[in-house]
Amino acid sequence: MKGVKNNSIWLDAFFKLKKNKLAFTCLIIIIFYFAAGLLCALGVLFPHYALTNNDRSYLPPSPEDWFGTDIFGRDVLARSFHGIKISLTVGLAGTGLSVVIGSIFGAIAGYFGKVTDDLIVWLYTTLDTIPYILLLAGMSFVLGGGLGTLCFAIGITSWVNLCRLIRAEFMKHREKEYVHAATAIGSSHFRKIFVHIFPNVFHIIIINFSLGFIGAIKSEVILSYLGLGVEPGTPSWGLMITDARLELSRGVWWGLAAASALMFILVLAFNLFTDALREALDPKLRGKL
Amino acid sequence: MKRVFCSSNLKVGFAGAFFLSIALSLISCTSKKNNLANELRIASANLKGLDPVATGDETSSNVIALLYDTLFQYQYLKRPLTIEPNLADGMPQVSKDGLVHTIKIKKGIFFSDDASFSGGKGRELVSQDFVYSWKRLCDPRLASEGFWLFDGKVEGLDDWRKAVQKDGKNFDAPVPGFQTPDSSTIVIKLSRPFYQLHNILAMVYTAPVPKEAVDKYGKEMVNHAVGTGPFRLESWTRNSQISLVKNPHYHGVYPSVGDTGDAEKGRLAMAGQKIPFVDRLIFYEIVEDQPIWLKFLKGDTDITAIPKDNFDAAIKNKDVAPDLAAKGVKLDRAPGYDLTYTSFNMLDPLFKNNVNLRYAVAQAQDTKTTIEKFQNGRGIEAQSIIPPELESYDPNFKNARLEFKVEKAKEYLAIAGYPGGKGLPELEYMVTNSSTARQGAELFQTDLGRLGIKVKISAVSWPQFLERLRDRKFQVTGAAWVADYPDAENFLALLYSKNASPGPNNSNFSNPEFDKLFEQAARTPPGPARNALYQKMRDISAEQLPIIPSTHREGYSLYHGWVTNYKANSVIVDRFKYVQIDVPKRTQLKEKL
Repeated sequence: MKGVKNNSIWLDAFFKLKKNKLAFTCLIIIIFYFAAGLLCALGVLFPHYALTNNDRSYLPPSPEDWFGTDIFGRDVLARSFHGIKISLTVGLAGTGLSVVIGSIFGAIAGYFGKVTDDLIVWLYTTLDTIPYILLLAGMSFVLGGGLGTLCFAIGITSWVNLCRLIRAEFMKHREKEYVHAATAIGSSHFRKIFVHIFPNVFHIIIINFSLGFIGAIKSEVILSYLGLGVEPGTPSWGLMITDARLELSRGVWWGLAAASALMFILVLAFNLFTDALREALDPKLRGKL
Repeated sequence: MKRVFCSSNLKVGFAGAFFLSIALSLISCTSKKNNLANELRIASANLKGLDPVATGDETSSNVIALLYDTLFQYQYLKRPLTIEPNLADGMPQVSKDGLVHTIKIKKGIFFSDDASFSGGKGRELVSQDFVYSWKRLCDPRLASEGFWLFDGKVEGLDDWRKAVQKDGKNFDAPVPGFQTPDSSTIVIKLSRPFYQLHNILAMVYTAPVPKEAVDKYGKEMVNHAVGTGPFRLESWTRNSQISLVKNPHYHGVYPSVGDTGDAEKGRLAMAGQKIPFVDRLIFYEIVEDQPIWLKFLKGDTDITAIPKDNFDAAIKNKDVAPDLAAKGVKLDRAPGYDLTYTSFNMLDPLFKNNVNLRYAVAQAQDTKTTIEKFQNGRGIEAQSIIPPELESYDPNFKNARLEFKVEKAKEYLAIAGYPGGKGLPELEYMVTNSSTARQGAELFQTDLGRLGIKVKISAVSWPQFLERLRDRKFQVTGAAWVADYPDAENFLALLYSKNASPGPNNSNFSNPEFDKLFEQAARTPPGPARNALYQKMRDISAEQLPIIPSTHREGYSLYHGWVTNYKANSVIVDRFKYVQIDVPKRTQLKEKL
């Protein structure tokens, strides 16, 4: 039994990731971001991010204000850190929703096949014909702005890829012996889907969640830039970048730099980590490490 | 292999360079050709449309005024603004009781050629065109934002509207107050004296539109222009650019009378000459400030307003910055005839029944910061809704409730029943989703946050913004009003109950005493008695604060050295027809840019 445990996909992946120094560094960066986002949300880190001081507007970076101040004299560093909170919320909630929709639809389509499969395939094929950003922008436009609707819009527009993968996996797994065995002992469809097959495709969900997370963060920035994102006044990277594009002409570059730098580091860390995670979890790539 | 590889790369490289050089030379030729063209190029916000009755925004009006023409206009150079005939052949004859206005129109004026006319040739303008167009403006089925101009003022108009509402076929029935004894005479019979009649006949809402075009295009009139104006529509790509070409048969001439300093600035050099001077006028529809500014700096546009983030680079000590002045850039400053304000939706029970809540919001607003941060100091704090350029403006009037006093605001909030903001639901502040508007909303959010009032900012697109105003679906918003004509009545109309949305009274304020005074003022000829009535209305608005007057802005325009005759004024919407371009000078000066 011990030997079996040592060969489990998760433990194996953990050890492989631990050996990959770059992936490990990225994981630490991601943990740092999550901690910073949590501390900002709890009001421990930069609690006065919204504090205005009109006498201190557009101060350049200095030892006192590392990333300078904005039009209302607010600390850009503090606002950028609070931007982490928004990005991670959008990433978690938006991707979470898309993963739930994609997994359930994929599982149902792949497991039941026939008309159910046809319907779900028709649905995601139709959805997939609309360019993603246009669909997302249209959805945000219809639903209105705000953090909640933004997460919802991202969630219901970005589940297609995962659905496709899960569907294929379920089609493959439903014919496997362990599923037939489960059928033979009288397991219900629900049990076969969620207790027997799901654990075997969970690594795909994890990888897609990581990929979707990055996409959601970028989508938030793009939508906020287009004026369709979070509510104005919220410290979001997208809003900071859209404001900064006008402020650049008066030489105020630090708002753009701070938001872009924080986003760049997070997205890069997530990308590298996801790559390593995929290599560690994907059975087809496991031998390459 | 390497050599072959290089050789093929070289071929690709040579081919690329060849095509690139052709492309560059084409661009260069186009650019040189553009420099040589007698064109005026302006950056503009997005246009709603070109139908005079279907659009009421400033941007569209600026273009429509060049395609269509009105009975009267303002003298371009003279100040204070003075009205003069345009399509009218002289000023109207007015009956002793002021109720009957007889207007002769000029003969020999033709609509632009259009497929809607038989043979595609524009026909002569007749008096019936005006009556038809005014009936369109008042047609309840079209719900024009400009109906308020004639509302309750013209004999028999209400009955006609009711009949049309019942059955559209009644549109052709005559309106007793609009008569055309012959094809060159219009008689307007008013149901009560209306001293701003000639002013409204200078507004684009009242411009003549031929029936043939409306019959052919219907609702598509917003995309067509068949007018008698100084320019004709050449092409329009929505949200990109609109190109107008000179109407060679235009009847107008450049003014011979100017104001102090106009002669010295060379603005009278073309006195008596036929206008327009430019062959083509192009409006680039650009939403963002940065490309507007860069396009002007490159000399690709000729005249521009100054975006707030470029003001410090453009203006030094209230004059053009030396580096721009060296390139021939000039500044024109003009009073804005405008008001920026915060508007409550008075249909919302929260505000309707709680004047102390409105006072609290008013005293929490930091207007000085607004002027400093969003207007670059180009404005003054408003004390009432009447701007300083108007006759009934009283420089000594101060409204203490508009002073930025947080403690006083907190007191009012407590009296309103919400001490420290407790119990008050989150307010929704509606703005357009431009960066500047959002930042303005953030300032409002911060200001009210000091009182403990939570504000949710709702950023919407410009069409959505207008639609929500029109449908009365907002709680608080920021707005601006630019005068249609130089009379305080035009600002006081913002609070007249019969002008409620979709009219200009977006706050939907209704006060019987105010309405009574407004109607009384409408029957009073210009002079001290009317000014006194205006001031009484001003006092009611200051007491009730359905809108919080914020600032009166000053207009700053920059124009290149090759532009002559330019004199800014927000009321004169057809001002570009007087502008001249010195083409050789443009070629010369553009090299310096």
